[in-house]
Amino acid sequence: MINRKNVLFLAFGIGFGFLLSRAGATSPAIISELLLFDDLRLLWVIATAVMVGGLLTWLAWRFGWRARNTGKPISIQHKPFKRGLIAGSVLFGLGWAATGVCPGTALAMIGEGKGFAVWVGLGIVAGSGLGSWVNQRLTRD
Amino acid sequence: MTDALSSLWAAFFNPLWTPVLVGALIALLAFAQRWLADQPLSCSTGFACLAQDITPGTRRDRESDWRVVFLLGIVLGGLLAALSDGSPAWQGTAAEFGRFYTALVPDSAWGAALWWIGGGLLIGLGARLAGGCTSGHTIAGVAMGAPASLVASAVFFAVAVGTAQLAAWAMGV
Repeated sequence: MINRKNVLFLAFGIGFGFLLSRAGATSPAIISELLLFDDLRLLWVIATAVMVGGLLTWLAWRFGWRARNTGKPISIQHKPFKRGLIAGSVLFGLGWAATGVCPGTALAMIGEGKGFAVWVGLGIVAGSGLGSWVNQRLTRD
Repeated sequence: MTDALSSLWAAFFNPLWTPVLVGALIALLAFAQRWLADQPLSCSTGFACLAQDITPGTRRDRESDWRVVFLLGIVLGGLLAALSDGSPAWQGTAAEFGRFYTALVPDSAWGAALWWIGGGLLIGLGARLAGGCTSGHTIAGVAMGAPASLVASAVFFAVAVGTAQLAAWAMGV
């Protein structure tokens, strides 16, 4: 379905995928160099992204910058300490170390033509479906 | 001036950009999402929507279509990056696994496929249980100062680094 929001987020996705590739985050070899502390280029990418993002968040809060779509101050959304957060983070860390891939980079790798990432992507889709099911069970009781 | 422009042009086609530059650009792009749509960066939730969309017997949630469209955009962005990586023709970028993943992943085609799927399952399940991934928790969440995102990100990195170091030591690579 073509609407304003979808077109906007298609453009955001293209930009993000392109930048992930130029960062080197779409190479398992470079991910392994990060995890084994052989080459910290990705640490600088992530640290810079977080610091600049933090600065922008502070500026937006301090000067009350407004979001274009809502006309209200840009919201600062804090994800909750949900049940399963720690266990999920541990599983995520294991999967990340096992493959050198995370959800965003898997997609960019598929676009680059790296065939193995299709397998990882299928696994992520199945795992996400399973995770949604577990989340429902966790919130029910 | 033309020299500067042509070296900038050449730098664009470099497959790897300066880390600090890419990091800053990612932050600006992620902030643009919040400025234009009041929506922080998010990848793994899109995967959950995709999983729900393709599950038989469930109704597609049209309100979150943009999440799946964003995922499609990332694929196209990767394609664009591979098309403009300075190599003469696009043949699909060969994946580089380095000594660690070459030693870690099974050699046989089916063994490797199972390994990648299993790893993907852990990533998808873990991200849903944690409520986010390296995008939503680390890049977006930590930048917004969210305590839960800080904890999740710390565990992501501690477990991934610990596991990789241990595996590298055990395999002697």
